[in-house]
Amino acid sequence: MNVNLGVNVGSLELRNPVMPASGCFGYGKEYAEYYSLNQLGAVVVSGTTLEPRLGNKTPRVTEVTAGMLNAIGLANPGIDAVIQDELQWLAKQDVPIIVNVSGDSVEDYCRVVEKVCASGLAQAIELNVSCPNVALGGIAFGVDKKVLRNLVESVKAHCTLPLIVKLSPNVTRIQDLAVAAAEGGADALSLINTLIGMQIDLKARKPVLANRTGGFSGRAIKPVAVRMLHDVAKEVDLPLIGMGGIYSGKDAIEFVMVGASAIMVGTANFTDPFACPNIIKEIAEWMEREGIKNLEEIRGCAL
Amino acid sequence: MEVLQNIQLTKDVFSLKLGGEFSYEKVQAGQFVNILIGDGKTHPLRRPISIASCDVEERSLTLIHRVVGVGTHWLSELKQGDRIDLMGPLGNGFPLPDENSKVLVVGGGVGIPPLYELCKQLSKLNCYIDIILGFRDEDDLFMVKEFEKYGNVITCTEDGSEGVKGFVTCALVNDEEWTTLYSCGPLPMLRALKEHFSHKEIAGYVSLEERMACGVGACYGCTVETKDRTATKRVCKEGPVFSWEEICL
Ligand SMILES: Cc1cc2nc3c(=O)[nH]c(=O)nc-3n(C[C@H](O)[C@H](O)[C@H](O)COP(=O)(O)OP(=O)(O)OC[C@H]3O[C@@H](n4cnc5c(N)ncnc54)[C@H](O)[C@@H]3O)c2cc1C
Ligand SMILES: Cc1cc2nc3c(=O)[nH]c(=O)nc-3n(C[C@H](O)[C@H](O)[C@H](O)COP(=O)(O)O)c2cc1C
Ligand code: FES
Repeated sequence: MNVNLGVNVGSLELRNPVMPASGCFGYGKEYAEYYSLNQLGAVVVSGTTLEPRLGNKTPRVTEVTAGMLNAIGLANPGIDAVIQDELQWLAKQDVPIIVNVSGDSVEDYCRVVEKVCASGLAQAIELNVSCPNVALGGIAFGVDKKVLRNLVESVKAHCTLPLIVKLSPNVTRIQDLAVAAAEGGADALSLINTLIGMQIDLKARKPVLANRTGGFSGRAIKPVAVRMLHDVAKEVDLPLIGMGGIYSGKDAIEFVMVGASAIMVGTANFTDPFACPNIIKEIAEWMEREGIKNLEEIRGCAL
Repeated sequence: MEVLQNIQLTKDVFSLKLGGEFSYEKVQAGQFVNILIGDGKTHPLRRPISIASCDVEERSLTLIHRVVGVGTHWLSELKQGDRIDLMGPLGNGFPLPDENSKVLVVGGGVGIPPLYELCKQLSKLNCYIDIILGFRDEDDLFMVKEFEKYGNVITCTEDGSEGVKGFVTCALVNDEEWTTLYSCGPLPMLRALKEHFSHKEIAGYVSLEERMACGVGACYGCTVETKDRTATKRVCKEGPVFSWEEICL
């Protein structure tokens, strides 16, 4: 039997549903030394801001049981350098590019989105709304319905590419934020970003991370991520991209069964540089075993 | 790779010799490997360990590590014949000097291992090598005899139980005309060395440690600020060896 791994996320056509998650794959160059990127559904690049950022003080990554915490702090060379030095190269790798856009003001988000769209190098925008909003004293954009809807609406007005809004899990009812993003004009939603965590160094008697808190990701967060995708799929009629702790083809299928059209792989790249191609292969093998020709046949079947 | 031998050198320092599939020919002194702990399910982040020695003919690698936590404890319990999953060689190693140069090599604690492969390379270039090795105490000494094959070794211990008492800088009494300093060890030691040589014409190369996630340059977890603090470099990719003029120690 021949399985068809191709999926659509709204108007975005992908050759398979697997993409590396933002911040876990740089701009692709490093992993291109391990395998050719055109095997992937798309490449999602690191969070990009208007100006260059050095990020937080180190230590800014640490391991926890079956997961990790990161407080990279959006270190990136700024959108102009990203377009010049990274996207130009990546655009030659025969793989769709999704640029993860971050900012600390609505204005900044809009300007970065404009620049990405004008570059003609990307196929979609992923809006990282887990960034602190400076005007609101550092509360993340993605935790308040009105703030989120307003941000998405403003960005949408400047965006000529499909707009994926990446939801923060650090809220009480994620489906409410999903509705707000949909009302703002999102074309698709991706979830989940990292949960906020902390780890204490007993010897030093203080948090391990210089930033004190960090985003919790990896295997350990998968049940939370699957539940959140489920809750969002029940209330919103937009294409969904699932992520959080995906390490295998079977992990990916769980997300599809609660409504995901595609999935992203983050922390697993660090454990195994071949995580993405392996997951693609495992999904195909699973489909073959189950006699499924197209993932649409099972999408949302567990809702 | 496959474990050929696992030897305990001191109470908590182990030497692990590995064989099997690896790009031995590509190894530069100062590079590291990134090791998966167990099946990686509870420990998603690999552990970076420097290459202490690479034998291209024998096709073997030697890693020397101190047990400080769960990952290094797991490594210390490996048996001959066990298989481990590692990535590498990673990063950039020590740039080698001209032939016949007079160089100084300074290591502290588990910063010492990568300097061993370096001394092998330096001796191939007929360099005159002065070596200072710093340990906690006499029971902590390891690899001293191996280093003596390549140069003139001075040992220091914090408590004076062996060699010079105090930190490695205490052994720097009569400075020679070294062209290059190579060092790896705790940050305070690297800073003290830089301070000590601040008025001298000497090229300094230091190997840094930072917590890592990907080990290949993709996550920006392991950065160090450049000297002017306007940019960062990745310890795993541009490092772990840097010129001390390049970065902010
Ligand atoms: C480039 C490089 C080369 C190194 N070479 C050697 C070597 O040759 N011999 C040796 O004994 N040690 C070396 N280290 C330090 C070694 O990586 C740590 O001791 C080891 O990761 C500790 O793991 P653990 O699970 O035993 O400790 P835990 O404290 O349980 O580790 C928890 C987490 O913190 C990280 N971590 C803890 N200490 C360090 C550290 N000092 N540096 C970086 N990450 C750390 C671990 O990798 C892990 O992700 C090197 C570090 C780097 C960055
Ligand atoms: C080191 C690191 C950096 C990240 N950087 C970003 C980022 O810049 N923008 C973003 O939207 N998400 C970022 N994330 C979140 C991931 O894209 C993903 O949502 C999260 O890690 C959950 O997936 P996982 O469990 O597969 O890692 C980052 C995660 C990690 C571990
Ligand atoms: S550990 Fe990821 S960039 Fe160095």
